[in-house]
Amino acid sequence: MTRELLKGNEAMAEAAIRVGLQAYFGYPITPQTELLEHMARRMPELGRVFLQAESEVAVINMVYGAACTGARVMTSSSSPGMSLMMEGISYIAGSDVPCVLIDVMRGGPGLGNIAPSQADYFQIVKGGGHGDYHLIVLAPATVQEAIDLTCLAFDLAEKYRTIAVVLTDGNVGQLMEPAELPPMRPIRKPADQPAPAWALRGADARPKRVVSSIHLLPEEEETFNLKLQARLAEIRQNEVRFTEYALADADYAVVAFGTAGRVSQTAVKQARARGLRVGLFRPISLYPFPEAQLAELASRVKGLLVVEMNSGQMVEDVRLAVNGRAPVKFYGRMGGVVPYPDEVLEAIEKLVAADARAQTALAAPRSA
Amino acid sequence: MPIGRITIDTEGCKGCTLCATACLPRLLQTDTTYLNSLGYHPTRLVDPAGQCTGCGLCAVICPDACITVYRLRVARQPAARVGTLI
Repeated sequence: MTRELLKGNEAMAEAAIRVGLQAYFGYPITPQTELLEHMARRMPELGRVFLQAESEVAVINMVYGAACTGARVMTSSSSPGMSLMMEGISYIAGSDVPCVLIDVMRGGPGLGNIAPSQADYFQIVKGGGHGDYHLIVLAPATVQEAIDLTCLAFDLAEKYRTIAVVLTDGNVGQLMEPAELPPMRPIRKPADQPAPAWALRGADARPKRVVSSIHLLPEEEETFNLKLQARLAEIRQNEVRFTEYALADADYAVVAFGTAGRVSQTAVKQARARGLRVGLFRPISLYPFPEAQLAELASRVKGLLVVEMNSGQMVEDVRLAVNGRAPVKFYGRMGGVVPYPDEVLEAIEKLVAADARAQTALAAPRSA
Repeated sequence: MPIGRITIDTEGCKGCTLCATACLPRLLQTDTTYLNSLGYHPTRLVDPAGQCTGCGLCAVICPDACITVYRLRVARQPAARVGTLI
């Protein structure tokens, strides 16, 4: 395949189409709209379903319905749209049907703005809707990663019968850069692959099935919850993904995901040029969170700096994982402002200087 | 009369301001008085003194290919003849 100059939103849409997306439901919202526009062009010409609904509430319930047939379905939106979808997302999670969501985050709270932000980490990574559930959350930092993780999201969603989210921001969505799309896969025909045992495609010559999220007896609901938790434990066991940069000999580590991770990588390079032994740890799966890897990292560095485009959300998970093994500092910009690498570099230098002061204070003989 | 002139596809512009960084005489500004249908403030050319040379750097850097450059074609003067043949 060839590398092409692609916009993040369009690349994710085309990637989904090429891994056999059968139905897309959506509603326009900047900075995600190009994804919907690409679907509007491509899906009908391939004879697949494209439907622009009247609102995100309708969208997510259409996704729910289509997912119950065992088809590959998805939707995409940006922060305020995702908030509208939360009820439906909880229902899908409570019904054990697979689907893929793409959230191109923008500045908030409220209507906010259309600039890139990471302020919806809590909303998406911690579940968002009501009830005890988690979504598989994948966070790309480049257009190529956005393509690869969109493809992966479909496989994971179907493997674990759960919702997989590609959590990105307006920066990756609007970015144009060279990337390679996967080859076109044929979509699954019912004749090639029988429907999954739970899918609803008409009860011809079989007893009826029901896909539902209601279990009125508390004991039944608990049994369902135990099954769901067992599956989440399996996901935490198998699906942790992350990437490391210059961490082998690092004294300090920067932890950042998505666009903040990309900015931080430039800052880490600059810090290295100044002789500071700093590395970058970039979680790719935000749920499951790379806890064990961060705990191990914290036991061999002198300090960590978490960089996010929010007021400090992932930093809570980093602190839980680090569990006091090393100091964890935070640097963040909010409201849709993307930090410059030199701001992150300054934060790294502060972390190093504070640690040096602490070391000197410890080494100094105590006055009587 | 300016040598260069540009047109900007304001609907395609996402307000990234890369063109403004490429413009050497700094003639490109974000138009905060106008929002396109996606909600972005597009770039506009502010060139009261006619400084645009039509160099095309803005069009080259624009990741979404939103800029078209027009350059005035200046007729070349025939080279002055040196010496005369007898």
